[in-house]
Amino acid sequence: MAAVLQLSQVTKAYGALRALDGIDISLPDNAYISLLGPSGSGKTILLRVIAGFETPDSGSVLFKGERVEAVPPHRRNIGFVFQNFALFPHLSVAKNIAFGLENRELNPITDSTVVRARVKDIVALVGLTGLEDRGVTQISGGQRQRVALARTLITEPSLVLLDEPLGALDANLRTRMRAELRTIRERCGVTFLHVTGSETEALAMGDAVLVLDRGRIAQADDADTVYNQPRSASVARFLNCYNLFEGQLSNDEFVTSVGKFPLQGQKADARGQPAYAIRYDRISVRPLASPVTAEEVRLEGTFIADEYSGAAINSFFSLDDGRVIEVESHLSQAAPQTCVPHSRYALVWKRQNALVYA
Amino acid sequence: MAMTAATAEPVSADRPARKMADKTLWLLAPGVIWMVLFLVVPILMMVYVSFWTQTTFAITPTLTIKSWVTFFSSDTYLSALWTTIRIWLIVLAATLIIGYPAALFVGLFVRNKTLQTVLLVLCVIPFWTSFLIRVLAWRPMLGKEGAINLILQGVGLINKPIEVLLFSELSVIIGMTQIYCVFMVGPIAFMMGRIDQSVIEAAQDLGAGFWRIFRTIILPLSMPGVVVGAIFVSVMVLGEFATSAALSGRKVNLLGNIIVTQVGSLKWAFAAVAGVVLTILMGIVVAALLRVVDLRKEL
Repeated sequence: MAAVLQLSQVTKAYGALRALDGIDISLPDNAYISLLGPSGSGKTILLRVIAGFETPDSGSVLFKGERVEAVPPHRRNIGFVFQNFALFPHLSVAKNIAFGLENRELNPITDSTVVRARVKDIVALVGLTGLEDRGVTQISGGQRQRVALARTLITEPSLVLLDEPLGALDANLRTRMRAELRTIRERCGVTFLHVTGSETEALAMGDAVLVLDRGRIAQADDADTVYNQPRSASVARFLNCYNLFEGQLSNDEFVTSVGKFPLQGQKADARGQPAYAIRYDRISVRPLASPVTAEEVRLEGTFIADEYSGAAINSFFSLDDGRVIEVESHLSQAAPQTCVPHSRYALVWKRQNALVYA
Repeated sequence: MAMTAATAEPVSADRPARKMADKTLWLLAPGVIWMVLFLVVPILMMVYVSFWTQTTFAITPTLTIKSWVTFFSSDTYLSALWTTIRIWLIVLAATLIIGYPAALFVGLFVRNKTLQTVLLVLCVIPFWTSFLIRVLAWRPMLGKEGAINLILQGVGLINKPIEVLLFSELSVIIGMTQIYCVFMVGPIAFMMGRIDQSVIEAAQDLGAGFWRIFRTIILPLSMPGVVVGAIFVSVMVLGEFATSAALSGRKVNLLGNIIVTQVGSLKWAFAAVAGVVLTILMGIVVAALLRVVDLRKEL
């Protein structure tokens, strides 16, 4: 697959803060890529560097094989969908969408019939038919999102950057727009780089998921790999579905403040800070007296509370050192153990289900 | 039946709200009384007096249109009207040409809000001195032996002083532009400050160059500021008399100066005619400016 965008060793610092610290990425043509990063990880700055609103301190940005660091944003033809949509408040829906075609510096379209036809096509594509003459303040959030997208897509960019595009929408609409963004992208055949702070969104949307951590790409894999095999403790933390224990590796054991976890030959990934990670849904809750097999790791905790979410129950247990660990029990499987507050339970998991970073 | 039920419901629910609205109207009373007593009544009085009979030493409330005929058949008054309109247009254009780029810079290119405020306060600094001092300070600046002439002569650009600088229409225009420019900068900078930076970035991302963005985005979005600024400047310049009195050496007579002289010589009817003409002129100007932009929609 040809790479539409390639970044190598891109850095950008603001004073002492290294917002981008040697970013290497390569985005394939015609794909949906999601970029997951917590707030402050540099994801918006990365997008702004790609779009040309910021110049990198060093490193190279190749767009369709050409270096573009010195090319101003209006000559790059990289689409950018802003988080707040940034629609032109004084123009109608149709005028907003037509803006790029009519006003771009490189071959603007002056024939109004051509513009009208193109606007009509794109309006149909994003599902805004009938709203062309409305003001952009007279339409709903979801419709504004579509206008922002249509306005970008009509200029036929090879790459569209979406900065938390669903962040400004309510939860219901967000799920619907997810599917729609994917369909629209498939019909246009361009690459979408979708930036988000939500791990579920990143995993659901991306053909590939990039994880950004403190200005570096911590992992670039497909969604399944990111979810099941996060490459470092920080990636595991962003995914919001792993209990993490800090500690040290010593003599085939991982030593933490709550006890020693036997490894028995399990290999540790050598990346970043040492940690032992076990996914919420890999832990089972048992009465204290129940036996464990040699394969299993056991920990005791006091039940605090649980949270019912329909398909699953998330229970919280506090360990002896005060740390809280979370257990997710899917209700489609066996009915979970009903826990009594302030009582102690055994938390058990299979040794090979844990991920070890050292 | 269903309909009566449906309509009866809101009426009863509505009543406390309407009572409230009735009471809140009293909040307007002081303002309305003030405006009626000191604005509406005096204006009506002025219109009335303009039809009184004026003799050299007295004025009698016998209605006549003699003052109006005199006003519109006298070259002095008509030329004052024309001078007023001309100076107003020139000063309006000058404040716009000087003020707009400054407002663009302060409102849009200065990203730091504190610095923005500081720069706007700097614009207001001339107002820390009195109007008279501000106007009179132009004399040592523009005079035949004033700073500008001395410097130009010192540099060797001219060998005799430019006399037209002071006591001319030019000096009045320079003085007024300087005083009223800030009233143009303020509202425009305010509107500029409200333009979301990402809207401009979006336009850039869609391929538009700076001038395109200026014409299609920045200019239309700042128009309400231009209109408000233009109304401020227009109303103040049209009613001006002090700057022209101090800087024109009595060569430039605006309607304002006519009113001052007529009142000074107790020609109330003539003064009233000039006042009515000036009020109508301002009304037309403000109405015309308001047609440019629907301020209710924009602000």
